[in-house]
Amino acid sequence: MSTKKTILIVDDSISIRQVVSMTLKGAGYDVIEGCDGKDALTKLDGRKIHLIVSDVNMPNMDGIAFVTAAKKLPAYKFTPVIMLTTESGADKKSAGQAAGAKAWMVKPFQPAQMLAAVSKLILP
Amino acid sequence: MNIDDVLKIFIAESQELLQQMEDALLQIEQNPHDPDIINAIFRAAHTIKGSAGLFGLDAIVSFTHVAESVLDRIRSGEMAFNDTLTALFLQVCDQLNALIAHVDAGGSLDELEPALQKQGVALTTNLSHYLSGELAVAAAAPQRATQVVRESSDTPNEHWHLSLRFGPDVLRNGMDPLAFLRYLNTFGQIVHIVTLTEHVPAADEMDPETNYLGFEVAFATEADKETIEGAFEFVREDSQIRIFPPNSKTVDYIQLINELPEEDLRLGEMLVRCGALTQSELEKALLKQSEPEASPAPIGEVLINEQNVQPQVVTAALQKQKQVKDNRTAEGNLIRVDANKLDQLINLIGELIIAGAGTQLAAQQSGAAQLVESTGVLSRLVEEVRDSALTLRMVQIGTTFNRFQRVVRDVSKELGKDIVLEISGGDTELDKTVVEKIGDPLTHLIRNSMDHGIEPASVRLERGKPAQGTVRLNAYHESSSIVIEVSDDGGGLNKDRILRKAIERGLVSDNQSLTDKEIFNLIFEPGFSTADQVSSLSGRGVGMDVVKKNITALRGTVDLDSIEGVGTTTRIRLPLTLAIIDGFLIGVGKATYVVPLDMVEECIELTSDQSSAARQSTSDYIDLRGDALPFIRLRELFAVEDEPPRRENVVVVNYAGNRAGLVVDQLMGEFQTVIKPLGKIFDNNRALGGFTILGSGAVALILSVPGMIGAIAQRQAAPSTAMTINS
Repeated sequence: MSTKKTILIVDDSISIRQVVSMTLKGAGYDVIEGCDGKDALTKLDGRKIHLIVSDVNMPNMDGIAFVTAAKKLPAYKFTPVIMLTTESGADKKSAGQAAGAKAWMVKPFQPAQMLAAVSKLILP
Repeated sequence: MNIDDVLKIFIAESQELLQQMEDALLQIEQNPHDPDIINAIFRAAHTIKGSAGLFGLDAIVSFTHVAESVLDRIRSGEMAFNDTLTALFLQVCDQLNALIAHVDAGGSLDELEPALQKQGVALTTNLSHYLSGELAVAAAAPQRATQVVRESSDTPNEHWHLSLRFGPDVLRNGMDPLAFLRYLNTFGQIVHIVTLTEHVPAADEMDPETNYLGFEVAFATEADKETIEGAFEFVREDSQIRIFPPNSKTVDYIQLINELPEEDLRLGEMLVRCGALTQSELEKALLKQSEPEASPAPIGEVLINEQNVQPQVVTAALQKQKQVKDNRTAEGNLIRVDANKLDQLINLIGELIIAGAGTQLAAQQSGAAQLVESTGVLSRLVEEVRDSALTLRMVQIGTTFNRFQRVVRDVSKELGKDIVLEISGGDTELDKTVVEKIGDPLTHLIRNSMDHGIEPASVRLERGKPAQGTVRLNAYHESSSIVIEVSDDGGGLNKDRILRKAIERGLVSDNQSLTDKEIFNLIFEPGFSTADQVSSLSGRGVGMDVVKKNITALRGTVDLDSIEGVGTTTRIRLPLTLAIIDGFLIGVGKATYVVPLDMVEECIELTSDQSSAARQSTSDYIDLRGDALPFIRLRELFAVEDEPPRRENVVVVNYAGNRAGLVVDQLMGEFQTVIKPLGKIFDNNRALGGFTILGSGAVALILSVPGMIGAIAQRQAAPSTAMTINS
């Protein structure tokens, strides 16, 4: 078993997934990817995941629904979540907060900002 | 407005500040402990440093910084001003002036002249002696000791103190408090940590998913408050995070607050800008303030209660806020205006007056009463506009006077004489152009007084005078002139020596009898200054004749009074304005002339008897109520050929106490006169002061009364020679 911390990145944009993934891998994390909420839920198969980074607006299953579902799985109840959003609207945010996503990042962000946010929650 | 314009403002402001600093430094010699003066010096340096930073003038910033640090120690009482320090700071002033002049000239501070650069390095080295503490230890040993404790960086006070109370749900939210503490270590070091367990309940009541712990952390980092707070970004909303800066930071914050530009900032904005408060802390506090049940406490109080900011920092910010407000009210009454714009305005008003006079004339010729009436009202208004426009250009002479404190100080040190400068009448106002041009002549007169006037201390004591010599500068208004007096209590002028020298140089003839005043005023004649009289001091190649020339160029006059053994007084008389005057129109033959109205005393009729009597005796005097009044016939002066009318008039003019009569044909009344300069060809003509354009479009010459009176005086002195008005 790897000693590295694992991060699940969920976003429908392949470029964002790649940049985030590259950045985090470079910093010493393991990264697995999900292209929407539905796809990401299949990755929550009981393996240890230390942090979820999820977009809000995605096809098939949006970020809020995904986080709400994820938090219901006992293995991931305490997994920290960073939500990525372009919406500054408070309604989405409060819905997300209720779902258990306390950490928010507004897109666009620099890779370094992402890394800083992640390392506040888990260090590699 | 672009950055260059702002830079110009910075330059002007700095020059003003440096002048204030210099003035204060000169005052400090008398009162080395006066906190107001010390503060004034400090403030000047401080402001220059602050604004120079905004323009990226790093050379000025770093140089001023050293000076400011020394001043700060003086201000805190660790050391005091003495002669050496004052001299050093005067040099600092000069250096800053030179640097700013360099910037003003468009030069880059990276390419300074070697001399300037060398001087800068020398001054910095000199100044830093005062910072090493060697000199200060004796004076303020105990204070210094506490300073050292505070400055050393390994004491516990030097660390940030973080007071962390994570919310109970933090774990359920997927956040691990330990993760944040670990994260802190990525940009600093947790020096000490205390875990607070008092909220942990008994084991059977404890919910393992709930957080009960709090932490008190001593944290060493170079990062700012914003960064530290950022670490807790994701838990801030559910937790209480308080961040206290190290002690030294408090001082830094206060300094930063003082360095903030003078903008109208709210307290919170100010604290956020200097980093003592973070934006989110401010928002939280503002929210708290607006809670309905909260008492409407001021934001400062809320912040202190919430322990976001130290009380000292809030106090400093409040002070700064007040200072800005005060400055604003003072500045609010002043507007900086480009001098060219003012000149343009005054030129336009000149044109307006001429056009107005034309209209009035046309109205009078038309005979329409209503039109005459309304043009009358109009011209009165124009006159008022003219007066208020002219006052715009008026400045107090005090600033110029104060500049001489430095001259007197430097020159007296150079000469080894103890001389003070006394200033009075500094609030007298005169035209800005005149003020600018009067500096050089005044410098020369003052240096002259100090060099030749004031005797060495031993001679003074022998003569029963105080050892300390006094030079006085005084200014006052006299009719439409301003009089500036430079006087000294020195040895006075030696009449016989002057007369002898004047005869030697052929300025006067042996058999001429001159009054004392006339003799003294000979020193203003070109060619009088002699090698044995001009020392290295009395002037940058400027003789008294040049002083006179400069003042004449301003349409002014200069004369001198002296009592041997008691002192000398030089009086400069200058017109209040250079542009527009109230004139009095007189007519000779077909031509019209203007005499400045302020110089006209009265007008009398020259009866044919008086006229013919004067002609017969060839002495042009009339009896004016028992006094002899010399007069000039303008008809003769200007070679007007036609026959004089049966009745002539005498306009009695007065200048600086001398009266004379001008014989004219007609008196035509008042006229607002816009002075236009004459061409170069008239430069040597002392009788004319310029010309103006009348309402009819005709040109009228303006008579220069001082020139006329001078010509009459000359004629009296040498009656046999033909009268000349060419100097």
